[in-house]
Amino acid sequence: MTIREKGYHHWDGQFLERRHPWWPITRLGIRLTFKRKFFKFIFSSSLLPAVVFLAGIYISERLEDFRGMARVESLLLNISAKYFGAYLTADFLLFMAVIILVFCAAGLVADDLKHNTLQLYFARPLRKRDYLLGKASVVFFFLFLLTLVPGLLLVIFKLIFSGSFRLLRENPWLPLAVLAYSLLFTLFLTAYALLLSSLSRNGRAVSLLIFGVYLFSDMLFNILYGIFHSPYLGLLSMRTNLKLLAVPLFGLKPPLGLPWGYSAALLAAVVALAAVVLVKKVKGVSVIR
Amino acid sequence: MSATGRVFTFFFQLGQKAKRTKFFFILSLLPVLLGAFLRLQQALTLSRRNMTGLFFYSNVVLPFYVQFLLLMLALFYGTSIVLEEVEGRTLPYLAARPLPRTSIILGKYGSSAALALAMIDVGLVASFLVLNAEQLGDLSLDLVLLRDMTVLDLGLLCYLALFAFLGALLKRAVLFGLLFCFGWENVLIYFPGLTQKLAIAHYLKSLIPQPPSSGFAFLRFNLEPSPPLTAVLVLIILTAVFLAAACLTFSLKEYLFEN
Amino acid sequence: MKAPIQTDKLSKWYGNILGLSEVSLEVRPGITGLLGPNGAGKSTLMKILTGQLRPSLGRAFIWGEKIWNNFRLFNRIGYCPEHDSFYEQTTGWQFLTGLLRLFPFSSAEAAGRAERALATVELLPDKDRLIRGYSRGMRQRLKVAQALAHDPDLLILDEPLNGLDPLGKRRIIRLIKDLKNDNKTVLLSSHVLPEVEALTKDIILIHQGKILASGDIHELRDLIDSHPHIIALRCDRPRELAARLVREPFILKVHLGGQPDSLIVETDNRDRFFSLLPELVMDMGLAVDEITSPDDNLQAVFDYLVGK
Repeated sequence: MTIREKGYHHWDGQFLERRHPWWPITRLGIRLTFKRKFFKFIFSSSLLPAVVFLAGIYISERLEDFRGMARVESLLLNISAKYFGAYLTADFLLFMAVIILVFCAAGLVADDLKHNTLQLYFARPLRKRDYLLGKASVVFFFLFLLTLVPGLLLVIFKLIFSGSFRLLRENPWLPLAVLAYSLLFTLFLTAYALLLSSLSRNGRAVSLLIFGVYLFSDMLFNILYGIFHSPYLGLLSMRTNLKLLAVPLFGLKPPLGLPWGYSAALLAAVVALAAVVLVKKVKGVSVIR
Repeated sequence: MSATGRVFTFFFQLGQKAKRTKFFFILSLLPVLLGAFLRLQQALTLSRRNMTGLFFYSNVVLPFYVQFLLLMLALFYGTSIVLEEVEGRTLPYLAARPLPRTSIILGKYGSSAALALAMIDVGLVASFLVLNAEQLGDLSLDLVLLRDMTVLDLGLLCYLALFAFLGALLKRAVLFGLLFCFGWENVLIYFPGLTQKLAIAHYLKSLIPQPPSSGFAFLRFNLEPSPPLTAVLVLIILTAVFLAAACLTFSLKEYLFEN
Repeated sequence: MKAPIQTDKLSKWYGNILGLSEVSLEVRPGITGLLGPNGAGKSTLMKILTGQLRPSLGRAFIWGEKIWNNFRLFNRIGYCPEHDSFYEQTTGWQFLTGLLRLFPFSSAEAAGRAERALATVELLPDKDRLIRGYSRGMRQRLKVAQALAHDPDLLILDEPLNGLDPLGKRRIIRLIKDLKNDNKTVLLSSHVLPEVEALTKDIILIHQGKILASGDIHELRDLIDSHPHIIALRCDRPRELAARLVREPFILKVHLGGQPDSLIVETDNRDRFFSLLPELVMDMGLAVDEITSPDDNLQAVFDYLVGK
């Protein structure tokens, strides 16, 4: 028989494994992002294209009231899958997505490397993949709010405003296309942002990298295209690659006539590279020589 | 040596060794590489369209510097003047030295400007040489280079001062800088009249001749240029104003470190 | 002579949070310990004294001069900050000489001073290593070195013993004690009371932004009338001694300790107890092995003042 210290009793129960160990990381990341000054304003501004496209859907159903805007009629008479593809591949949307990455993703890994908090994470029952999934989910959350949610809402509002299911009868795969493109768009940008965040301990430098690489890719394409006039140089541009992904899903015209498969392969390679680099960089112990 | 000079020397030496200096230096030499590509392409006559070196310099290299590299350099180095010390918590080392706060800003500004100007000037001169090697004896071309270098230097100093002020004032200065450069300034060039004058880029583009329309669609803009002397004066005045604002803000503001 | 550091009803708010509340103190030449738990306001006070923060209310002076934006003061002030931060891409030598060159010293003088400072903190063999490769203790010593290197008259050290191993702490304690002999003024903060007790008897106790007490530790103890003094004795006949002591009105409590020969006495008049004790020892022929005052120390003083 043992005499126990007053106030202490050994607990003989069982530890229940948390089903989603990555969730607290995601929840904290989302909360911290919303706390940042001006983020709510920036995020609201990024939903502007969705509002514009929603107005377009409304106008298309109420054309008699907007007869005065004669030029609009030809564009809006037929809201097809291309309309939704145009929203998801809009340049302003990509620009705002990158700005949101600067807000929410720049410091995700960089700050942990800077403050040496990886050791704190991995001193808990957390696997590397839980850590990375938790961080990635923060970006997923915001980018889905920008792409998937408005995309699906636009479809729903079209059905509501038109009062019929004609859109879905003619384009039965449209909601899946919106889901698929949002997923691919988000997956690539998440991998891109986390890769850059893992390359530096300076959050400010990562912010500039995230924006700079996006801008530079387009600039480089335009410069080299001016020299060599090869459409394949379009594969250098992040913007062009993301537009090409939407071609098979929404029946859009491929920019520069490029096969979309090349873009898909290139973006997949970037995601794979990001995964390799992140797995290497994210470790609990580092030796400084 | 004055206090500003001492601060300049310290941070210039630190900056020379920094990884980011090497990174930006390589980036600033990218137009040289592209120019070399062009020369190679011309030599191998791979394309039907033959573009002169000067055309490429005016329509590609210059806009690359004006619309991208200059802004990136100014944004990074400018915001780093104060934010680097606050984020790195090294501000106490400077604050507890017999240095007027103004001299800390001016010294760091000077060291950042020296490094960034070196990158821009070396890159620009090297690109020009690669693209116009056979025409170097032409004085008018040399004057073009001198003019462009001066304009870029003025622009860099102005943007650097602006971002130094933003960095002294705001924690998220990089974000505001990005929105200013690639949002506000890009949008304003499509507005007529006086609205354009609310962008620093307007004055830079007033000093650099407009390229004729070509295959470089993304570089086209609607410009109502200001007279050159006005543009130069405005840039100098803006630089002085932003620097003064940065010094004043840094002298008055308290900087708390995040836990 | 004016005290080097003087504050007059100094208060500091961070938004709604009170950092300091009506702090009026003087720090005289010598070593003064600023003591309090984490969040007490020690670093806030030090940041005001080193010109990093402005007072919300009240005033702070060093050598009779206001501090905020008074950069000339810092020719004679050395500051060791709390945070473990450096220009990581430099070596210890480059860091120290670089900071010294921010003073109006020539390169040769800066090098000489850097060498002496590094030798003082025993970092000279590691001077050419990158700071990012330094251990926690080495980084702390480097911070102390940069505070000392320009030979200041006033040293403000914020948690200088943080992160040091016992040997490192002893070195720094010895170093700081030597500064007192050089007529320097040292104000150092800590939340580890025994460390400060090893350095100085002059302390300022701070808690929740307020000064609880300042002065000599023992004098402070004596002033705390509300708490009886505790004296522990070991002798051959503790029960007999206890029986004799309880007759005295200034003896509040007597109880036998854990060991057979120990006795613990609570009294509200230490002086009368210690003048009575030798008489009793002589009269009763007691063999006293040990007399200690368990609560005549900083921790006890602090606990009493905080109300624990």
